[in-house]
Amino acid sequence: MAEGWTYRSNCRYSGRPSCRGRNSTSRRSTDSGTNWIHGDRSQSGERMSTVTPGAGRIPCRFFQRGACAYGEQCRFLHNAAPESRVSFTRKESTAVRENSNISTDTPTTSSALAGSLHDAPRRQDGRKISSLKKQETSADSGIGDEATESWVNAPEFIPSACGTVPASASTNTNGNANTNGNGNASANTNTNANVNSSSKSHKSYAEAVNPGGNDTSTLQGEGNDKKFCPYMELNGHCEYDAECPYIHGDVCEFCGKACLHPTDEEQRKQHHNECIKQHELDMELSFAVARSKDKVCGVCMEVIMEKSPGEQRFGILPNCNHCFCLTCIRKWRQAKQFENKIIRACPECRVTSDFVCPSVYWVDTKEDKDKLIQEYKGAMSVKNCKYFKSGRGKCPFGNKCFYLHAYPDGTKADVGPPPRQRRQNADGELEVLQQIILWDYLEERDNRLMMIDDLEDFVAFFSDSDESDWSEYDLFFD
Amino acid sequence: MANIAAQRIKREFKEVIKSEEVAKCAIKVELVNDNYTELKGEIAGPPETPYEGGTFVLEIKVPETYPFNPPKVRFITKIWHPNISSVTGAICLDILKDQWAAAMTLRTVLLSLQALLAAAEPDDPQDAVVAKQFKENQDMFKQTARHWTSIYAGGPHRNTEFDLKIRRLTDMGIEDHQARVALSSYNWDLERATEQLFS
Repeated sequence: MAEGWTYRSNCRYSGRPSCRGRNSTSRRSTDSGTNWIHGDRSQSGERMSTVTPGAGRIPCRFFQRGACAYGEQCRFLHNAAPESRVSFTRKESTAVRENSNISTDTPTTSSALAGSLHDAPRRQDGRKISSLKKQETSADSGIGDEATESWVNAPEFIPSACGTVPASASTNTNGNANTNGNGNASANTNTNANVNSSSKSHKSYAEAVNPGGNDTSTLQGEGNDKKFCPYMELNGHCEYDAECPYIHGDVCEFCGKACLHPTDEEQRKQHHNECIKQHELDMELSFAVARSKDKVCGVCMEVIMEKSPGEQRFGILPNCNHCFCLTCIRKWRQAKQFENKIIRACPECRVTSDFVCPSVYWVDTKEDKDKLIQEYKGAMSVKNCKYFKSGRGKCPFGNKCFYLHAYPDGTKADVGPPPRQRRQNADGELEVLQQIILWDYLEERDNRLMMIDDLEDFVAFFSDSDESDWSEYDLFFD
Repeated sequence: MANIAAQRIKREFKEVIKSEEVAKCAIKVELVNDNYTELKGEIAGPPETPYEGGTFVLEIKVPETYPFNPPKVRFITKIWHPNISSVTGAICLDILKDQWAAAMTLRTVLLSLQALLAAAEPDDPQDAVVAKQFKENQDMFKQTARHWTSIYAGGPHRNTEFDLKIRRLTDMGIEDHQARVALSSYNWDLERATEQLFS
């Protein structure tokens, strides 16, 4: 076994009596079962809680949050968290500190400690707003580099002691605004803050930090006042409730989310419109599902929406209203045993259609169908034609081709009408196909495999689209 | 058998059984084997035709590529019709060949055959002798077709004159069906039929 990766951290079973490699007390136990380090409780009591340098540098996340199930036996550092924790953790952490020499010995933890010192004062009053959230808000209010410094004297929201807050808040924001090089704005916000503090008896944390408040006219307004509390928006409740630094919007009656700004009429209106639009889309979708769900393919006679998920697609013929699944109608149109006139006709009514338009839902009305076909053609017209090859090849369909004929630099090519070889009868395209196959054959008869590939490719092309087209189109359509 | 073919035949089979044509005894489909590759069809002779009252049995073979290829159908019951071979029962019908469409079903095929019995296409014949008679001697064709229906398809109209002529030939040691074919081909001219049979 490679030496390199062993001994880095304590055996995780150590401390529980059940590690199979337990017998080896030596630190180099390659011949015994495990290669992990076992702190030996029987010989020295400290060893057990001693954290090896590798893991010890990492502070325990659980401990930081207040409780670590492993307690003293945790592999991670338990003293990075400040003393302001709940009482039992504090005791434990001091105990850990006594036992371990890491906190004093390792220089790398000092920064973490420093951070925790900064944290200490605001932890003292028992606020439970996580440090993560604090940092977020600091970033939002654009404090940036000064963050760590300003955290020391960051304004603190004390519910009943509003009177003391505005002073510190206003000075603080003053400083911030000045760093942004915006003296006027600072003046404005200052007055705003004063007005706010005098008019409202109960200031929120957001207002304390960012006295611009809901006043969108000031630059300071780009902070929290625009952001909705994600918990409120998602769950409908927020555990910080009134103390939450983010906006708790009103509940929208359409989407049921708390995302209506309490004061911003424009936002409310915009959201309302978005919701109505979404609602209309949803309605359209449910209508589409309703009219599609019983449709039976005329070829396989199965209910299309009950086929295997990959085959739940309609092949819409532009010239008649008969319903087929995409797989069947394409297979029919690729049948080689019949004349082109037969396979290009609808299997039910024999009305000829030039192409099949894939669709996730059935379309009833002419308007819907036209829209669908338009979208389909639009989706195809941005894809490069496999035959034009950005100018390197020649497309047999000329300017009738649905695909994009453009040179590499993006300029569109006018390739003119399809070649003249086509006879002006219904079998025209079949004849073109045969010519191309013959041409391919003469050109590439040394490479028959390729020819077959090309032929298949062509047949897929001939039926207007292949699977890859479809999948892309799918995205487009959705 | 390809899954789609078997699936579809099963569905069609149910469709035919439930259809109103079955209720009117116009068409009928039976299974020959369990895997739905071969079926037995029956159509009633359409009214106001020489085939009225007869029941014609068909052999239906479903290819693996069904429904992208037509089923193979032929008459088992002998029939006198320009588009159906009086010898093999092979059918000349465009939809069973190059005009097939994937949306066609057993039911539509059987109904099409019924329509074919009512409206023969002598210009696109399967049996040239019958087609010639159909074009040249419509009345004789009708009588012959009615006679064949009564003999082979259980039709109600026995033609005693034709029976007698056949008896004359069978008395000479000619097999019954052979005698009927010969007489039918020569517009029931006993002399020419005898000549042809013994030449």
